[in-house]
Amino acid sequence: MVNRKISRICFVIALMSFASMTASAQSFQVQCPTTTVTHPSKLHDNNSEPSYAGPTNLAPNSQGFLAPTANVNGAIKCQQISGGDGFATMADGTQTYLFAFGPLSGLKDMADGKPGTEFPNVFNTASTGLKPGDPATANGIVPGTWPGFPLPTNALPYNGAVGLAPDADAIAGGLCTAPCLDGHVDPRQVMDVGVMNGNIPAPLMAIDEDDEFFLTLTNVGMVMRPDLFEQHTVHFHGYPNASAFYDGVPDASVAINIGGSFTYYYLAPDAGTYFWHCHITPPEHLQMGMVGQIYVRPRQNRWNGDLYAGLTTQQGDLRTRCDSRDILCSNPLPRVETGASNDGSKKYAYNDGDGSTRYDVEYPLQIHGFDPNFHFVGMTFNPEAFVDMKDKYFLLNGRSYPDTVTPGPLATQSTDGAMHFSQPLPSIINIPAGGRALLRISDLDVTEYQTLASLGIPMQVIALNARLLRDQAGNNLYYKTNSITLGGGESLDVILDASDTSKYQRGDVYYLYTPNLDHLSNDAENFGGLMTEVRIN
Amino acid sequence: MRAINMKKATLKMPLLLAIMLAALLLAPAAFAAVPGITGPNLKLTAQAEYLTQPDGSAIYSWGYGCNGAPSGFAPAAVSGAFCKNMQVPGPTLIVTEGQTVVVTLTNNLPSAAGNTSILFPGFNVSTSCKDATPVGQQGLLTCEAVPGGSVSYTFTATTPGTRAYYSGTQGDLQMEMGLYGAIVVLPSHIPSTCSNGLPLTNPGNNAAAKAQSGETDFRLAAAAYDHPSTCYDREYMFQFSEMDPRIHREAEQQSSRTCTGCMSVATEPYVPAYFMINGRSMPDDMDPNYSPQYPHQPYNGNPHLHPGELVLLRIVGQGRWQHPFHEHGNHVRVLARDGNLILSTPDTADPNLAGPLLFTTTTTPGQTIDGIYYWTGKGLNWDPYGHNPASGDPLAKLTCTPDANGYNTGTPSAINYFEWCQDHNKPVETAPFGDVSGGGPVTLPDPNILVNGTWFGGSPYLGPNATVRAVGSTGTTPPSGTIGNSPTEEAAFAFMWHSHNEREITTNNIFPGGMFMMMLVDSREFVIDESN
Repeated sequence: MVNRKISRICFVIALMSFASMTASAQSFQVQCPTTTVTHPSKLHDNNSEPSYAGPTNLAPNSQGFLAPTANVNGAIKCQQISGGDGFATMADGTQTYLFAFGPLSGLKDMADGKPGTEFPNVFNTASTGLKPGDPATANGIVPGTWPGFPLPTNALPYNGAVGLAPDADAIAGGLCTAPCLDGHVDPRQVMDVGVMNGNIPAPLMAIDEDDEFFLTLTNVGMVMRPDLFEQHTVHFHGYPNASAFYDGVPDASVAINIGGSFTYYYLAPDAGTYFWHCHITPPEHLQMGMVGQIYVRPRQNRWNGDLYAGLTTQQGDLRTRCDSRDILCSNPLPRVETGASNDGSKKYAYNDGDGSTRYDVEYPLQIHGFDPNFHFVGMTFNPEAFVDMKDKYFLLNGRSYPDTVTPGPLATQSTDGAMHFSQPLPSIINIPAGGRALLRISDLDVTEYQTLASLGIPMQVIALNARLLRDQAGNNLYYKTNSITLGGGESLDVILDASDTSKYQRGDVYYLYTPNLDHLSNDAENFGGLMTEVRIN
Repeated sequence: MRAINMKKATLKMPLLLAIMLAALLLAPAAFAAVPGITGPNLKLTAQAEYLTQPDGSAIYSWGYGCNGAPSGFAPAAVSGAFCKNMQVPGPTLIVTEGQTVVVTLTNNLPSAAGNTSILFPGFNVSTSCKDATPVGQQGLLTCEAVPGGSVSYTFTATTPGTRAYYSGTQGDLQMEMGLYGAIVVLPSHIPSTCSNGLPLTNPGNNAAAKAQSGETDFRLAAAAYDHPSTCYDREYMFQFSEMDPRIHREAEQQSSRTCTGCMSVATEPYVPAYFMINGRSMPDDMDPNYSPQYPHQPYNGNPHLHPGELVLLRIVGQGRWQHPFHEHGNHVRVLARDGNLILSTPDTADPNLAGPLLFTTTTTPGQTIDGIYYWTGKGLNWDPYGHNPASGDPLAKLTCTPDANGYNTGTPSAINYFEWCQDHNKPVETAPFGDVSGGGPVTLPDPNILVNGTWFGGSPYLGPNATVRAVGSTGTTPPSGTIGNSPTEEAAFAFMWHSHNEREITTNNIFPGGMFMMMLVDSREFVIDESN
């Protein structure tokens, strides 16, 4: 009780001392520090991913907490996204209204189908010459000419944070020297690019274990729905030991209003295929399109040498150690030492310690469904009904067949008359002959379970819900199947192993499709739906 | 006969929401546990009654209830227990491994509904159709009770775990109407490590911490199975089902027909509008167990836990749809399906767990999952307790001494018991906030452009001490009196546990509702009292 009293007195003092401070005028801002406690730039280059040699050395600092002294792992990654609205084009040509996230950094990478997550030296570059609808507009797309894509490969070189501009006030005040890109943004650029620029799926994100990730959500408002004062949030689905504050549930935390930016902060969790979405009125905002994927790459990608020895070395880090008596430990040392090794160039889905999750190419496959009636009502000023929600478009990465096999991003003409970048990701699974493909499959459908089957190469399921399928004795519990079924809010990882070149030859085409046969349709068209191609190159 | 009360919900929504919110906020703190009735002799009846829904409707339903007072209620620490003659879900039957269980069912449904029965999947059941007393009528799947008649089911509770029970007669209608429940078999041999304390990696102290803060034990047992990896500190049950109001309306209209078994209600097309956990829709599910306003829906869903506690989730799919249940905050280790422990094969002497780790546990009709969840805050890379060694507040200057796994478990009386020590004192915000130091990686926006949630504890930090120290004039504290998670008393980390087929977190077209509840991680400053 005495303790409580003291703390209340401190609280009052704090109240009084804060009363004299003024609120900041700048509502849009981005955050991408070049140095942090965890990643001090003097010890470490935060603009590249260093190889992993062992746990970071930690020692108490003058403020009483553990800080790195050597052997710093991971780096800093940043991304900016808009929360707003936009339009997408369905495979039957229908223009569909979205509540959606859009890219406000990594525009070039996103146009190339890659994650829009960047190192600080890329993110912290000022933007020039961006136009409404970018990256579509900067690539010379003329309204009404869709599908005049794919983009020319030399288009729009810019990957930095949209709106980032020199902080003139800080320079004038002597707090910063030019160019002083400290997160201050020019809101005109943010609004020019971000308004009506929503994507389905939401911007792809990828981080590496040990990274610090600064994710800035900038709420640009929904131009088609001026009656709504909607906040948006980011829920990093599956983040272990999450804090309620950065969990993105508006009921349990804070949510950002229109005209403001909120930066979410995460230390990269264990490797795996996660996803993210808005958590405001989920039946509405998810159905309307605010769904995306985020995956975490394992340390094993950055390890040189025997993989079993690598995983053993990782046990020296208490944070990621997997003691098999810990009931939530997912990747204990494998029961069998395979002798597999990495030279720093091989890619793995998980810290398997035995090489069993190695892949040559990786593809996100995000399952979703749209109810066209709900989307139509969502564009009007009427409340939507939930009981009768019925999906009629069945989407892989925001598109139905045959758009799933159209290379490059898709654009959609919006109500401002401009073409807007709308669906960045095709779903063509290109496997080099003799190679292995990792499919990162997630489902954020709002209404029903979805099945995806492989006609041709069997699916080997290696992980469920971002966790390696391995028992606590270290046995891999992978299984082969021809189909997987997911409900909303689930993910799994599948390897398509085409290493037998006598069976899977260059030029072969196989199909991923849904055996929910009524989902092989695009609304009224008895054709299309949840389907794409696997091509051996 | 009361007329079914299907109000024009949308018209009354603002008023209803206000009432709902007021009821929610005025209600005493409501917690959960796994309440039920104890065996091994259980007398049940199947009857009709009305279920209340948060949109104001009262829905004609059928359910199992107690035929007379049960022999006992468990856990003993939950007060106010009752078992009326109809409830949805049916009474949770709590028995012990090895017991001979006798369930006697009397059919008090309207005679138009015809026969009824109970299936106990996973057990080898003998029925009174063989024994002849009481007289039953052999149906397709099991022995059935004719209107007004009784049957009995006898089986040995051979293995521990959670299982569903439900009607074996015209299941498409009787399950929909509410004839389902759960049976929990407690292990007969609790592993000795459970009494030594939890968890296995930090033996000895969770029970001590519970005792230090004066908390009562609300478990049915110390372990879910006869296996040391199934020990737990708390437990909660989640039964998922849905209702199509048209079916209930038609059944009600035909219930007064005098002929026997002549009811004919189409169960397709199926358009459910109510999505329930433990028979209640959000926010009713967060009201207490045995709350008087839900006489026929006695069980709630409102989990609380402390950092480091192992929490057993007993998840049961009822109804006819699958529902992906997403547990925010961490993964769940699946222990067992349908009461069958999932173990790896090679280590037969000391078998390890082999169930998957899931952040979304699909509930399939009739299927159960037992799983274990915990939350510690490990890996946030900042101190969720907002400790500040430069503070004048002794609670802000607590120490953190890592055990072999990195947690502060040496002093069970400490309020930061089970803190993850690697992040101790580590700031998250660039600027200091009140009595929480700065120097961290991120900057919060102007608080005037943020909206605070109903369950927001008032700061980024866990527990009242840290929250009160952290919030100055930043305005992150919601106005007093309008919150479900007081900054000065609880300041929990609230996590939403819900169906991720998000359409199902609605109640008859109204959001929020349906299969949705908040789970609260409480600091040790807050005493978790699940006695009601």
